Amino acid sequence: MEKASRNLQILNVLTIVLLVIATALVFFYAPRERVMGDVQRIFYFHVPSAWVGFLAFLVTLVAGIAYLRTGSRGWDRVGYASVEIGLVFTVMTIVSGSIWARPAWNTWWTWDPRLTTYTILALIYVAYMMLRQGVEDPDRRARFAAVYGIVGFISVPITFFSIRWWRTIHPVVIGSSSPTAEGGFDMTSPMRLVFFFSLFTFTVLYFCFLANRLRLERLAERVEQLKARWLSA
Amino acid sequence: MDQTPNTLNYMIAGYVVLFGLPLLYVVSWLIRQRNLEKDIDVIQTIADDQKK
Repeated sequence: MEKASRNLQILNVLTIVLLVIATALVFFYAPRERVMGDVQRIFYFHVPSAWVGFLAFLVTLVAGIAYLRTGSRGWDRVGYASVEIGLVFTVMTIVSGSIWARPAWNTWWTWDPRLTTYTILALIYVAYMMLRQGVEDPDRRARFAAVYGIVGFISVPITFFSIRWWRTIHPVVIGSSSPTAEGGFDMTSPMRLVFFFSLFTFTVLYFCFLANRLRLERLAERVEQLKARWLSA
Repeated sequence: MDQTPNTLNYMIAGYVVLFGLPLLYVVSWLIRQRNLEKDIDVIQTIADDQKK
């Protein structure tokens, strides 16, 4: 396989350094929250994971539009890679949120508007992966995936605004929570710094993952081309 | 009196997930990369044999 480009190597190292700093800030700089205790520290990586999920699906939307306009297979690869990454971060968000909820809400799971819409969002993008597996023809697959990625994105703003539109026990990080919200807290300055640093770190992590995943996708395409050439020879 | 609950175990479990899942994902890339490289070797070996 081709060696990672110098830019990708720099991005990988930068991401690792940022992750180490973010982790150190979470455990050694952020104060212990008085009501929830240490479990509140999950929030510093839980919210950025959710953000990366949303960002990944937004990139899939953009890639879908770009594919339909240009027909370039590169955009299809971006959309596919981004959904895969988005799903990993979505699962991280769901599981870490459930672990946080046990001491905060006294339950692992509840069909609250945010949790319900988030689960639907995850299932929509699992179906995207299944759709791709089910279509043999690469052009049809890319076209279907692009349209699905555009339509499926509707679930993202619905999920994001669910805690602002409906009565929910899920706290709102930025802005005011519903009166029924449980487990919310006011961020102090050090907490805010750690939170925004983690948010930045996870954004860089997303682009690092995307670049590496696209490199793998190019290798897969090379294998497909070699197979096709060999079969036609 | 400090009434902060001890929720350290939950925090550890949360961070095991938050670090573990992306790590597993990266490992899955490495496995996929290794398999694709093997595929390329096999195809090239067969193609070379056919030329002979």
